[in-house]
Amino acid sequence: MNLSFAGCGFLGIYHVGVAGCFKKYAPHLLLDKISGASAGAIAACGLLCDLPLGEILSHVLRVVGEARQRMLGPFSPSFNIHDLLLEGLNKALPEDAHLRVNGKLHISLTRVYDGKNVIVSQFSSREDLVQALLATSFIPVFSGILPPRFHGIRYMDGGFSDNLPMLDENTITVSPFCGESDICPRDLSSQLFHINFSNTSIELSRHNIYRLVRILFPPKPEVLSNMCKQGFDDALMFLHRNNLISCTRCLAVQSTYVISETMDESLEFDPECQECKIHRQEALVSKLPDTILSLFEEAMESANQGIVNWIFKHRGLKVLSVLSLPYTLPAEIIYATFTKFMANAPNLCSNVWLLGQYLLNQLLALLNKMNKKHQQPSTKVRCQLAITEFGGTKYDIESTEDTPVAVKNKMNINFTLNLDERNPSETTNVRKLPPTLSRQPSLTVNYTDRGAQVEDDTFEHILQETAHHDTVMAFYYMDENNKVKVTEIVDVTDADSSIVLSPEECENNIQLEFDDDDEWLSQHVMQTEDDLYYGEDELRMSDVSVEEGNVDGADSRNIFSDPESEWNSPETYRKLSAEKLNNMKEAFSLSPNSLPESDQRTDDELGDQPLQRKPSYVIMSNLV
Amino acid sequence: MSSSCCTSVRKMETVSEESKESSWFRGWLQWSPTSVTMLRAAEKKILSCLKSAYRGWYVDIGPLVGPADKIWTISLNQESTKTPILLLHGLGSGVALWCLNLDSFAATRPVYAIDILGFGRSSRPTFSHDALVAERQLVNSIEEWRREIQLDKIILLGHSLGGFLASSYAIHYPDRVKHLILADPWGFPERPADIAQRYSVPLWVRAIVYVTQPFNPFWAVRAAGPFGQWVIEKARPDIMKKFSSFVSGDVNVIPQYIFQCNAQNPTGEAAFRAMAASFGWAKHPMIHRMDTLRKDIPITVLYGSRSWVDNASGELILEKRPDSYVNVQVITGAGHHVYADKAETFNRHVIEACILADTGDTRKILSMQTKSSSPTDELEEETSNTESEENISATNSTNAISHPFPQQKPSS
Repeated sequence: MNLSFAGCGFLGIYHVGVAGCFKKYAPHLLLDKISGASAGAIAACGLLCDLPLGEILSHVLRVVGEARQRMLGPFSPSFNIHDLLLEGLNKALPEDAHLRVNGKLHISLTRVYDGKNVIVSQFSSREDLVQALLATSFIPVFSGILPPRFHGIRYMDGGFSDNLPMLDENTITVSPFCGESDICPRDLSSQLFHINFSNTSIELSRHNIYRLVRILFPPKPEVLSNMCKQGFDDALMFLHRNNLISCTRCLAVQSTYVISETMDESLEFDPECQECKIHRQEALVSKLPDTILSLFEEAMESANQGIVNWIFKHRGLKVLSVLSLPYTLPAEIIYATFTKFMANAPNLCSNVWLLGQYLLNQLLALLNKMNKKHQQPSTKVRCQLAITEFGGTKYDIESTEDTPVAVKNKMNINFTLNLDERNPSETTNVRKLPPTLSRQPSLTVNYTDRGAQVEDDTFEHILQETAHHDTVMAFYYMDENNKVKVTEIVDVTDADSSIVLSPEECENNIQLEFDDDDEWLSQHVMQTEDDLYYGEDELRMSDVSVEEGNVDGADSRNIFSDPESEWNSPETYRKLSAEKLNNMKEAFSLSPNSLPESDQRTDDELGDQPLQRKPSYVIMSNLV
Repeated sequence: MSSSCCTSVRKMETVSEESKESSWFRGWLQWSPTSVTMLRAAEKKILSCLKSAYRGWYVDIGPLVGPADKIWTISLNQESTKTPILLLHGLGSGVALWCLNLDSFAATRPVYAIDILGFGRSSRPTFSHDALVAERQLVNSIEEWRREIQLDKIILLGHSLGGFLASSYAIHYPDRVKHLILADPWGFPERPADIAQRYSVPLWVRAIVYVTQPFNPFWAVRAAGPFGQWVIEKARPDIMKKFSSFVSGDVNVIPQYIFQCNAQNPTGEAAFRAMAASFGWAKHPMIHRMDTLRKDIPITVLYGSRSWVDNASGELILEKRPDSYVNVQVITGAGHHVYADKAETFNRHVIEACILADTGDTRKILSMQTKSSSPTDELEEETSNTESEENISATNSTNAISHPFPQQKPSS
């Protein structure tokens, strides 16, 4: 016995119910050919591929939900049933779908140029099958303008020529319209009049009028659920009436008969079989599988609950949305036309995208240039550090502004930060120094007594850690909150570092990183982030180049006091540095990453990974 | 409109004269291209495919409903002495649509098929608007017809509306019915009281229904006028398909015939509407009256499995008549037009029932003595006189049909 599913648009949910029943109670009916048109063809394909019903159902419900969201329902210009269908089929069908259905699935198509019916049953590939299914579901205007091609010929909905393809006399016809089909809803009406729309008999009853409209306008999930249930019940009723429900053992016996004989004679099952009787009794009270029901419940809930749904259910809002239609519709049409145009015009989309990208780049470059011009004064920063080392066993550092006392060593450090040589993008990141940097040194750090002075173990630990590396320069200071802050400059490029090298050369040679302990970091970040720097993420973007040198080759681990107070702005800085340039033994170009906050790299990363940070300030300090 | 073939009835003559006068300009004014001649031609074309000879003539039943009613009758194998079978067609149909069954039935017994009064080629008087009265008028016309051609007992086979009338006839004239065969009969189940609650349809659907309700069932066909045949072709291609094997030459003759049957003054349809409540339910469902049918009348009910007719009423008949012979068959794969969908199976069932009627071997025959209250005397004196007969002697395929009855100016 063959099966035939009628095409019926959104009423295809009925077929899901029927399919559920067949799978459960009459799997032997699914062994033969199954034909269909439109939604019926999809249902037939699903049955033959043995797709999980729940998956299909949830997809259908999703499409329905999408269609119902819009004011004009599926006729909204932005609703594209064709694409949704394609997406669903591509997702649901297994890779070997065409092999499974070849010769079994018969899809009814209408050839566009002569309106003749064509039934296809051979598919060379999965895409071929998908294309056939799309073609049989193509309703002109509703789905689109141009019908899809199958094997080079344009086809449209099989429902226009043969909506219920009958392969032979013993075809069980399934139709969601009350009419003269084997499995169809039996409305309680006694209407004499039918029309026969391309082989599907449709009774002219109230319900069918309602259903006919629901082909294209999907109803509420509640109604869909009822239709699905009805499909299950009708199918069950049919199976029961024709004694097609039996236990698996009897089924095997039966199926041998079914092949050759007509339906009314094929029912040679043993009426005494107890198992069959039980099975049939069960079937009588059975209902749709739970998985399907739960899916419907979900859909109903999502459609009914929520404040948005409640608002849109309100009559006033409905009226409002109808009234606003003249205004929203043109916009929607334009949008839909545009998107369709984009989708249909090949390469146009990517070209426009490229063009957009190009324009954007140009714009960015222009902006950069403007920025550069604007901030030119700050691009080249020179600064000087006058460092004075105090003598004595106790390394008490009294950092005052101008008057170093008991000077043991005096040293001027010159920082040169040449931003012009950098990547153009870096130039944008020049910033003003935070005002906090300009505070007066207020702290004396005793080098030897550091353990006593700083309670935190981590501090010591940090120091030790940093000691392993050739710290060019490190300075700790305490801010207003009595928190110690540490800045280290570590030399990891001994070979390359040279006082002779210009900053530019060094930049090419050295890719430096400064590392520090994470614990330190966490402690430090908390305190420094806000007052010292801002835009930390920006900092990470730029390369760093540090030109460093040893201050007298020995003082790498010295504790430096807080930098001098001339930190107000790069401009002042520059002036200062120019003055003290002569005293400099070396010049560094210091980057903000030298600040411990951002030094998160581990040792082994050093050197081979360029720092992604941006120079943002120059440190100048006096060695007192 | 009715071109009467009957010359003997005086009242009729005036009518025919009227039609004679008007016909020349009516042809121009008429929207629907219909005429009795076209109907006759279509019918002849279909019946010409019959293998056995048939004879068609008008049976004058006198002024029963209208001033002079005539019933178009065809018969086959009239010579046989077995119990004749009378075929009653359904709504919007006619004798010619029995074409798939006539040969088979005629092989063993006389077969009569009539166009019910108000349908087909029969005259179309205006029926009462009261359901019971209209029903009675139709039943009486059948009884008049029977008396006219002097049949004693008949096997009554009715399809759809014909089934309803056949049942009613059997209730009223049980003596005349030897076996009642109902093919997908209309009008048996009762309209459920809670139908409105059970099926809530949206307002706009009800609006459509409300608007179309006052029309006669085939109004669309008539309104389409020249396109009426096309409408039928498009709306019911399945009917054409059913008969395509029979009328091998021109399949379009079937929709043409159906169109001509229904394009004329729809008095029969009006009667149907009078008997029907909203949307096809009978105002006086036959199922409630089945117990008044005499118990000795055997019934065979043939349903199509796909038909919209609720075959549960077959079970109900079984329940209502526990002591009588009731055979309910559901013919698989057949729709409402069960006689055409599965003609062979249908014919087999009917012939079986006929043989049963011949032998009188119904399982539960009750000896019936009491005469039912059959009012047979009312129209006794109005026995009509002469029928213009149309003796058609046909041999297999080529039918040499002569038309002895007077022709009233065929339009066109």
